[in-house]
Amino acid sequence: MATITVDGREIYAKDNAILIDELLSHDISVPHFCYHPALGKDGNCRMCMVEIEGQKRPQIACDTPVKDGMIIRTKGENISRVKRQILELELINHPIDCPVCDQAGECSLQKFYMDAGLYESRLDTPKNKKLKHVDLGSNVMLDQERCVLCTRCVRFTRDITKTHELGVVVRNDHSFISTFPGKKLTNPYSMNVIDLCPVGALTSKDFRFKQRVWFLKPENAICDGCSRGCSLLVDHNREKYKDDIVFRYRPKHNDAVNGYFICDYGRLSYKKENDNRLLNAYIRGMESEFEYATLKLQRLLKRYNSKALLLISPTLSLEEMYRLKKLAVKLDLSINGYDNTFDEDFGDDMLRKSDKTPNRRSLELLGINSSRQSLERDLKDKEFILFVNRFDTDLLQNLNFEGSIGVLSSVDFTPKDKLDILVPVVSHTGRDGTFINCDDIIQYSQCQINKDIQAAKILDLVEKVFNDGIFTCKAVWESGLEEEPFLNGIKFDSVRFNSIKIEPK
Amino acid sequence: MGIKIVPRYGKSLKDRLYLPAIFGGMKTTISHFTKNLIDTSNIKTECYPEMQPNDITDRYRGVHRLTHREDDSVRCVACFMCATACPADCIFIEAVERTDGMAEKMPAKFSIDLLECVFCGGCVEACPCDAIRMDTGIFTFIAEKREDFVLNKEQLLNNTARKEEN
Repeated sequence: MATITVDGREIYAKDNAILIDELLSHDISVPHFCYHPALGKDGNCRMCMVEIEGQKRPQIACDTPVKDGMIIRTKGENISRVKRQILELELINHPIDCPVCDQAGECSLQKFYMDAGLYESRLDTPKNKKLKHVDLGSNVMLDQERCVLCTRCVRFTRDITKTHELGVVVRNDHSFISTFPGKKLTNPYSMNVIDLCPVGALTSKDFRFKQRVWFLKPENAICDGCSRGCSLLVDHNREKYKDDIVFRYRPKHNDAVNGYFICDYGRLSYKKENDNRLLNAYIRGMESEFEYATLKLQRLLKRYNSKALLLISPTLSLEEMYRLKKLAVKLDLSINGYDNTFDEDFGDDMLRKSDKTPNRRSLELLGINSSRQSLERDLKDKEFILFVNRFDTDLLQNLNFEGSIGVLSSVDFTPKDKLDILVPVVSHTGRDGTFINCDDIIQYSQCQINKDIQAAKILDLVEKVFNDGIFTCKAVWESGLEEEPFLNGIKFDSVRFNSIKIEPK
Repeated sequence: MGIKIVPRYGKSLKDRLYLPAIFGGMKTTISHFTKNLIDTSNIKTECYPEMQPNDITDRYRGVHRLTHREDDSVRCVACFMCATACPADCIFIEAVERTDGMAEKMPAKFSIDLLECVFCGGCVEACPCDAIRMDTGIFTFIAEKREDFVLNKEQLLNNTARKEEN
């Protein structure tokens, strides 16, 4: 441990750590463009200057190791003059088109100008013209004029994905970012460069002009694209007189799972939260009252009891699985979690896993059968099958099932006339829940977006049968889930804010 | 804290008699009445709507308009500054990519609900492109349905600045 003094305040820092890391982790603002914790230092933007006592000139904090007894100043007349001058250089050729720039509101250049700049432009020569909208591929749009050449995107494709698609070409103030001629950004993590870009040079083609970022409300969630379960920020907004819409997913920094990045597939999977949602309940293909359909579903389960099978999806949360298992015991139903959504081409050695469901591990840990044989065994002499949060027509044809079919789904599909009952349920970001990922890390997805769609939460549907007042995840945990042996006494309150590795015996 | 003693008025004999004040007031009324009766052309009251006000100043905040570029296309770039500044949340914008090279972005839809608008002028202040103004001088807006009070982009573009009379 080293003790350093920053602006008269003593802080404890790791010996030989990078100074900027320690300053940022103590909430001391250090403007920077090129430094990023995942990409390391590059030292090209010169924005993170600090004064170090004993050094003649200001030093860059991203390339200075911490030493015991350092005395550092991040404020003061001298250092703000230096920062202002660097910012002035960065902005010489910047088009300052913030009104049409999607980055406005989350732009480092804007923020640092307000913090450290605030000068009048001294420039009367024309600015350098470059290309304004270059489609780099993979939903990434490049505006070369806005670029500050921090090379974060270049270093991302060089060091993280190792695909080397981007580079800086041409010298001096004519430099710009580009792909090789005729080549495009093609790697499955390309869109991370949009988050990495501190300015509006790289923006998302998918999110382009959809919404100004200051209207968006971010919420924490877990990606349900594959069994990695990356931490997400779900940006949503309810515009006046409109429904609540999810506009984009962004990665949330989580060292235990995904670091700073997510894959493009996960990032674009927000679309299923808005589009093609099931809006009505149906009974035998006819539109029905939502309340009536939920009551009818209860009656069906109670009537068929031991002749009914719950075919649950590995996309359900741990709480929902636990409660459905309880329900199966109470009503003497069979429960099975067979699902074969594996995609061997999807998995890679970075984040993506071949298992494209977020919570298959919970099925195993809760002891719910999920093999094909068990499903065929369970399905013998069954007259009613209830698909929970899924509907696989292929599987149904494969199994030659002849009885009645019920479906709980958030996604709309056709035809519906073969189904006895179809009840809409909320989608992934519509309800909270915990998920156990492929590495046995348990995480809580907090996001509960309340859309105008009349859709049931599965916990609420189960509660209607039990009538025990257990509606929330916390209540489910306290009602017995936390005593499950694989959780080793982990409590809900500790899962809420942390990703915890469970060690099942 | 000291106590401030407020003098009470109306205790004198003249005040309590009441009539001197009545006659004082009547004197003002009757003098105006006779003056206006003799010279009707100088009466301050206007016979609205036959007479329209002629004292609307340049700073008067009337119904909004969207301004044009030199080539008559819309000046607005859909930056949402007006919608952000609006305290009544009555500006509804949908942005779209602009392809004619004038700018990168333009509004596909731009509507203002005049029933919700409080005519504060915040949108005009906020606009970085001088694309919205309230200088039409329109001080009444009449419609038959609530929906008709929501001005769309075309209506706002068709509104023109108030012409200087005199």
